[in-house]
Amino acid sequence: MSTQITTTPSATATDAVVVATDLSKIYGEGDSEVRALDGVSVSFPKGQLAAVMGPSGSGKSTLMHILAGLDQPTSGSVLVDGTELAGLNDQKLTLLRRDKIGFVFQFFNLLPMLTAKENIELPMKIAGTTPDAEWEATLVEATGLGTRLTHKPAELSGGQQQRVAVARALLSKPAVIFGDEPTGNLDSKTSGEVLDLLRRAVDEFGQTVIMVTHDASAAAIADRTLFLRDGKIVRDAGHLSAGEILDTIKTLE
Amino acid sequence: MIGLVLRGLSTRKLRSALTAIAILLGVTMISGTLVLTDQIDRAFVQIFQQGNAKIEVVVKPKPPFQDDQTEVYLNADLITAVRAAEGVQLAEPYIQVQGYVIVDGKAMDQTGGAPSFVFSSVPEALNPYTPISGRLPTASGEIAIATEIAEKSKAKVGDAVTLATQDGIKPVTIVGIVQYGDGSTSLGGSTSVLSPLIDVQNWWSLQGKASYLYAKANEGVSAEQLKANVRAALPQNDVIVQTGKENADEQASILNNLIGKIIRYALLAFAGVAVLVGAFIIYNTFSITVAQRTREFAMLRTIGASRRQILGTVVGEAFIIGLVASLVGLGLGLVFAWGLNKLFGAIGFGLPATGLILSWQAVAVSLVVGVGITVLASIFPALRATKIAPIAALREGVTLPVGRLQKLTPVIAIVIAALGATGMVFGLASDADTTSRLLTLAGGAILIFVAVAMLARFIVRPVVGVLSVPITKAAGGVGRLASENAARNPARTAVTAAALMIGIGLVVFVTIFVGGLRESFTGAIDTSLKSDVTVTARGFGGSLPVGVLDAVTAVPGVETASPVGGTAVQVDAQTLALIGVDSATITNVYSFDWNSGSDASVQGLGADKALVEDTIATSLKVQPGDAIKVQSINGASATFTVAGTYTDPTILNGIVVDQAALKPLLQSNATGLNTVFVNEALGANPDIVQAALEAALTDYPTAKVQSNAQQKEQVASSVNTILVIFYALLALSVVISLFGIVNTLVLSIFERTREIGMLRSVGTTRRQMRAMIRWEAVITSIIGGVLGVLLGIMFGWAVCKGLESEGLAFVFPTVQIVIFLVLSIVAGIVAAILPARRAAKLDVLEALQYE
Ligand SMILES: Nc1ncnc2c1ncn2[C@@H]1O[C@H](COP(=O)(O)OP(=O)(O)OP(=O)(O)O)[C@@H](O)[C@H]1O
Ligand SMILES: [Mg+2]
Repeated sequence: MSTQITTTPSATATDAVVVATDLSKIYGEGDSEVRALDGVSVSFPKGQLAAVMGPSGSGKSTLMHILAGLDQPTSGSVLVDGTELAGLNDQKLTLLRRDKIGFVFQFFNLLPMLTAKENIELPMKIAGTTPDAEWEATLVEATGLGTRLTHKPAELSGGQQQRVAVARALLSKPAVIFGDEPTGNLDSKTSGEVLDLLRRAVDEFGQTVIMVTHDASAAAIADRTLFLRDGKIVRDAGHLSAGEILDTIKTLE
Repeated sequence: MIGLVLRGLSTRKLRSALTAIAILLGVTMISGTLVLTDQIDRAFVQIFQQGNAKIEVVVKPKPPFQDDQTEVYLNADLITAVRAAEGVQLAEPYIQVQGYVIVDGKAMDQTGGAPSFVFSSVPEALNPYTPISGRLPTASGEIAIATEIAEKSKAKVGDAVTLATQDGIKPVTIVGIVQYGDGSTSLGGSTSVLSPLIDVQNWWSLQGKASYLYAKANEGVSAEQLKANVRAALPQNDVIVQTGKENADEQASILNNLIGKIIRYALLAFAGVAVLVGAFIIYNTFSITVAQRTREFAMLRTIGASRRQILGTVVGEAFIIGLVASLVGLGLGLVFAWGLNKLFGAIGFGLPATGLILSWQAVAVSLVVGVGITVLASIFPALRATKIAPIAALREGVTLPVGRLQKLTPVIAIVIAALGATGMVFGLASDADTTSRLLTLAGGAILIFVAVAMLARFIVRPVVGVLSVPITKAAGGVGRLASENAARNPARTAVTAAALMIGIGLVVFVTIFVGGLRESFTGAIDTSLKSDVTVTARGFGGSLPVGVLDAVTAVPGVETASPVGGTAVQVDAQTLALIGVDSATITNVYSFDWNSGSDASVQGLGADKALVEDTIATSLKVQPGDAIKVQSINGASATFTVAGTYTDPTILNGIVVDQAALKPLLQSNATGLNTVFVNEALGANPDIVQAALEAALTDYPTAKVQSNAQQKEQVASSVNTILVIFYALLALSVVISLFGIVNTLVLSIFERTREIGMLRSVGTTRRQMRAMIRWEAVITSIIGGVLGVLLGIMFGWAVCKGLESEGLAFVFPTVQIVIFLVLSIVAGIVAAILPARRAAKLDVLEALQYE
């Protein structure tokens, strides 16, 4: 089934930012065993916006956590920007995340006591590096948050908060940004603003974005759409329209 | 609901345990104190019961007033009348004095608080001591020593040793080793020597005198009956006649008032501090958990729980924590009592003790205080929990509603502070009795602590603002985050810091207070003494043999040797010291700080003039020219005209008269010589003179030769002992407050789990995570430390100013304050260890998904 509709956009191992080979993740043992991932091999080239879709429980979050080094696979390997994750200790993984990976979470995960600007700069502050002022200005411009930078998260709308989170992920120019349902908590208008920003990140700033989403209209902005079911990639397509995506989902259910 | 309470407690084990510790330690101290003092109390009763076991009737002198420091005597020849009384089988005079044996050049005396006794040996039928080897001494030159001395000195029956007496060193032979009663009661480090009556009378200038007369009844005559018979046989007003039991009870209660009660109230005061600190922590913990459980309570309300039931769950939780903590604390109290007893022994304040006693009163007090304080501290948070509306269950990110009272916090706090300040001023300035003054002073201090704790939330943000600059410099981004976290919930940080503030505040206060005491002594030595060396009597209240003055005067290099003596007297029912000086020489060795009068007034003292210390003159309301009537403890009285007033609350604190005028007012064996102030000749080598003085006084072992520097050192070292005890007792409160910091951090970390996950996911290393928590703790502890130091200085200053007339001087303890601030930072770092580990260990993924 997986080979049936494979139209993988050109992705050689050399220009891939994230390469996963034969990933499995098994939870529990014996009768209660759950194969959250079952032999997933996939690679993501630089400068691509990929959407990962699939029914609830299909393994999307699990895949993303493993790709981002937040979780370990039961077997298989992950390369991020040329670094093999297996065998890295916590300290090295932390530093890798700091330098090469950006995150956008479903719940905005901003620190309530910091202003928008401080939240954006937070990872760099923790790393003890100074953000590139020009790049930061560009990002702030792109987020459209200009006048609201000194506001605390509580004074920002959901969409604005999530744009702050995207800007935070972009500031250190990571090799890849992961988003787990970044628009899951937003209405269609505000999610549009966030998706626009992610799209610009790829098109204008050459970033790589991998996001998990349930929303067909969100996936419709992606360059590539992956479908998971029961821990396997069942379709790996290029850009699809919302309609095509909904059709595929129907066939999966 | 009770099921819910128990489930809640078991799911929050660590938090419940940390909360329990906050109260447990205070209860430990309470129960330990009660157990220990009950033990001491019981021991005193036992000691005196054994001492009087063989005696039916005791005849005692009846001084015109009581004075703890002065032993009084009666005429031994009254024994004839006692022996002649009907029903008397046997009667003997008995004397107790202070002295000790010297074995192989080593004095077998007590250096700590317990006295070294010499008792006259009465026949075995009356004697509480029984020989376990040898016999009781009967002939002059014989002694018996108590088993404790025998063990310590390895002296045996038949050994020739010497006895240090008021009349110098006397050669004696050990004829027996004796044991007190049945040997079960420790006499708490005091030493006892038995010597025949005649020797004690001769060597302590007590010819014809006795402390008591003991009488034993004939078969079939009751103690009460014998008491009546003896009473009838003796002159009415000079003596007191008691049964042995009455005497035992009275002596036990006198000693217990002197020692047991003081220890009890002092320790309970420190236990009170510990409980107060614990109350702050419990209040804080419950405030935090109630805030965190807002949705849970709202949910309970939606499914039909009443406000009363919500109140019940929170208070019920407090009750169970309080009960468990109090029970454990009660048990640990036994260990605490045992340890404290050992500690007192180790620092030379051995206390008599019997086996462990756990009275029902000790159990009741510990449980009531432990449970009561925990429940009380939880009531405000519980009331806030009842204010949560059911709708809160449905909303995201709800917070606790702000209560009406909370808005009034500053006003209430200021009212409390004003009340506290009033209490302190009253405590310092009023002329009520000492107990009520101390209580109002302490109450005032507690109110001020509470008020500052309530107001502290308003300074948290500014203080953190200042601290965040260096901390961000030192720790970068995580330092900044730590500052933000500390300032995020100012009330929480403030109360956590306040718990530490109390401990540090009191540490600073006692440092200043005890420093003031030391200064009052050493300062007086510097300003008042012109003499170079002082000869005093070892042991308390001791007289020096008259021969000492001549021996000192004869030492080459001594220019002036000025004798000073004294006795206890009463003027207008106030007990005071009447001090006899040598009016010809005193101004050479001592400089009066005159308010009225001059050195010429000293020369003109004569037989009927007196100089009065200023504070005493004020309280007696006398002025120069007025007459004062002095009642001596020996029964005589005299009237003096006030010739001048001077200020000296330390060295010559009393009424000064000429030596000759003092003589008729002296106690039987008092020599009128307690101190000799010595001035060295110009150009004399101080070391040589001092060595010569010591050599000249070898025959007088009770005489102690000290230079001014040595006197100051001695004051400093005893003051340091007191300080160390205070610090040790306050350390417990500081430790409790550390648990408070741990608790607050653990709760905050728990509440920020997802944030921590996010921080870790964006590249915060574990080390940085730990640093972040540590800095948060340090900020809290700095706030607590600084507030504590400020309040401690304020209290110390107030008390020193208030007691200025008693000689207390305010000395700013700069070095110690720096040390205390550093220690509070260290305390914060220590408190952060466990929470920091927990935060760093959190699994990133789990933390991110945490709901
Ligand atoms: N910690 C865990 N222990 C056991 N099973 C788990 C664990 N985490 C995930 N699973 C299981 O693994 C499977 C994949 O879960 P995953 O969270 O990746 O799904 P998902 O595609 O992200 O679903 P959703 O769209 O609902 O978020 C599910 O069957 C889930 O129950
Ligand atoms: Mg998921």
